[in-house]
Amino acid sequence: MLETSVETYWEAYSFLMHEAEVLDERHEREWLEMVTDDVEYLMPVRVNRERGEGDGFSEEAFYFEETRGSLELRVRRIETEYAWAEDPPSRTRHFVTNVRVAPGEKEDEVAVRSNLLLYRTRGSAPGHDIISAERKDILRKEEGQWKLRKRVILLDHHLLETHNLSVFL
Amino acid sequence: MIEQPTQGTYEILQDARQTLEEEGKLLAKVYNEPSIFELEAKKIFSKTWIFLAHESEIPWPGDYVLRRIINDSFIVTRDEDGEIHVLFNMCKHRGMQLCRSDAGNASHFRCPYHGYTFSNTGKLQGVPFEKEAYGPEGLDKDEYSMTAAPKMEIYKGLIFASLNPDVPPLEEYIGDMGWYLDFYLEKSPAGLEVIGAPQRWIMPADWKLAAENFIGDGYHTQSTHMSTIKAGIMRVKSPAYLKEGVQITASKHGCLFMGFPPGNYFNYPQSIVDSMLENLNEEQVEVLKENSIMPLNATVFPNLSFLHSSMAIEAEGQSIPYFTLRIWQPIGAGKMEIWSWCLVEQDAPEEFKKNSNRAFLTTFGASGTLEQDDAENWSGQTRVGAGEMAAQHYLNYSAGSAHVEPIPEDEWPGPGTAYPKNYVDFAQRHFWQTYFHFLLDGYNGS
Ligand code: FES
Ligand SMILES: [Fe+2]
Repeated sequence: MLETSVETYWEAYSFLMHEAEVLDERHEREWLEMVTDDVEYLMPVRVNRERGEGDGFSEEAFYFEETRGSLELRVRRIETEYAWAEDPPSRTRHFVTNVRVAPGEKEDEVAVRSNLLLYRTRGSAPGHDIISAERKDILRKEEGQWKLRKRVILLDHHLLETHNLSVFL
Repeated sequence: MIEQPTQGTYEILQDARQTLEEEGKLLAKVYNEPSIFELEAKKIFSKTWIFLAHESEIPWPGDYVLRRIINDSFIVTRDEDGEIHVLFNMCKHRGMQLCRSDAGNASHFRCPYHGYTFSNTGKLQGVPFEKEAYGPEGLDKDEYSMTAAPKMEIYKGLIFASLNPDVPPLEEYIGDMGWYLDFYLEKSPAGLEVIGAPQRWIMPADWKLAAENFIGDGYHTQSTHMSTIKAGIMRVKSPAYLKEGVQITASKHGCLFMGFPPGNYFNYPQSIVDSMLENLNEEQVEVLKENSIMPLNATVFPNLSFLHSSMAIEAEGQSIPYFTLRIWQPIGAGKMEIWSWCLVEQDAPEEFKKNSNRAFLTTFGASGTLEQDDAENWSGQTRVGAGEMAAQHYLNYSAGSAHVEPIPEDEWPGPGTAYPKNYVDFAQRHFWQTYFHFLLDGYNGS
């Protein structure tokens, strides 16, 4: 059952598919063009809590708490010749599924939920890292283009099994 | 194929220690070797003080967090009277893990297995069907109460425990390093608070590489962290920004100081600058005012590190200072779990607290633009340190030995030994000397 028109659903869905492609092909600068100037990009720390205490997401502690300005710094850093953590780069695959689109609070916005599985290998060592999460996004249409206005990445981990977060999710 | 006799772990370590003393070189094998890790667990992590939590993580009666020393799980609780306890998280009945949530608030812990119930002081209070099971007299509740960690002490908000009942007092263990820790811990009489739960992540890197880096490696910054200088995250004029400074060895620990423009104090808000100049002692203030330097990074042996820094969170933005505390928790040879907290003065402006936390996570923590590259180094060292070549591969720890003398005692107001440069290996050598002392002499409190 769709909460939006098929067309809107399809546009939001296509946005996420395109975004995953841009990230997996490591066009970080192009990805930055896909977010709004007032973007909020958040990944809260998660704590293993009792069932009655909710899902354990911290309201204060984050792995990412980014604005357009700090994302710009992160992308600039990757663009230098000295970002050792991503050179040689990670090989990533963003698997984006379970896309649900609902009307946003504002007329030009939609609220999108999706599941993300990020598969990552690095260097020549064996093994891989997996990060699993739900993403709650707000997309906004600006001059006919959908852009990412807000993303909250809700980890399925209380402990990250990856040595760093040098890629975007 | 001819089998080579394996050299014993002790012989490897003895040789390594001797070469470090005589030639200023370290055997790469100590970076990543399972048999050495077993010794570390017994001779370091079971013998001395290990940091578990900051008091502000459990501010209210009933609050608790779950922590570990290697494989031993402890519940750090605050009881109804506000007292802090460190309780071994194993039921005294049949050994079930009592508390299975990482944080919360509870007056009691009820064991899922047979239902023994303990108060948050550790006292056994309820035994289901007590008379049926144990007779009319019931059970000796003291005998089967939870076991406290052999030692627990708090140093300026930092909760430590030790598995060694004979460990010397914490204050004595921290010793001369306390003078330097004040710059992190005592900037305001209001004390510090953690900003939320710690970040936790697994790194395929040996804990020692992070600990030794944080005790003093000023030299790596011009190479490892170049990207952040180029990108305008670290707002410094030259990659060699950390060449000048002061490196310290104090007790079993160490740190290094970084300069700031006179009067700038890492860009702390005026209210914190005022309280810092008020709250620190005369000699400490002299260092801030006259020398215009502040501790950047520090390690308290074995695995607790401190970092004060100041970085931009917006393009072309101002530097914002922050303080992060971290432990490098070994989970085997060449693998650790990092726990990283951001702390801020409780009386700092709210807006500043939020920005300070953002400056921390832009630069340190799992996503930090500096720590990402540190991770790359520490994992790389660990990976190539795993093989047989590393057992005959000696690494350079000689920087400063040829030409740098300590600052004369009457020219430096702090305790310990101060060196007038940062591209030197004195603190890192001190780390390894301490390490060998624990492993080979056995730590007896000296
Ligand atoms: S193991 Fe805890 S009550 Fe039996
Ligand atoms: Fe570093």
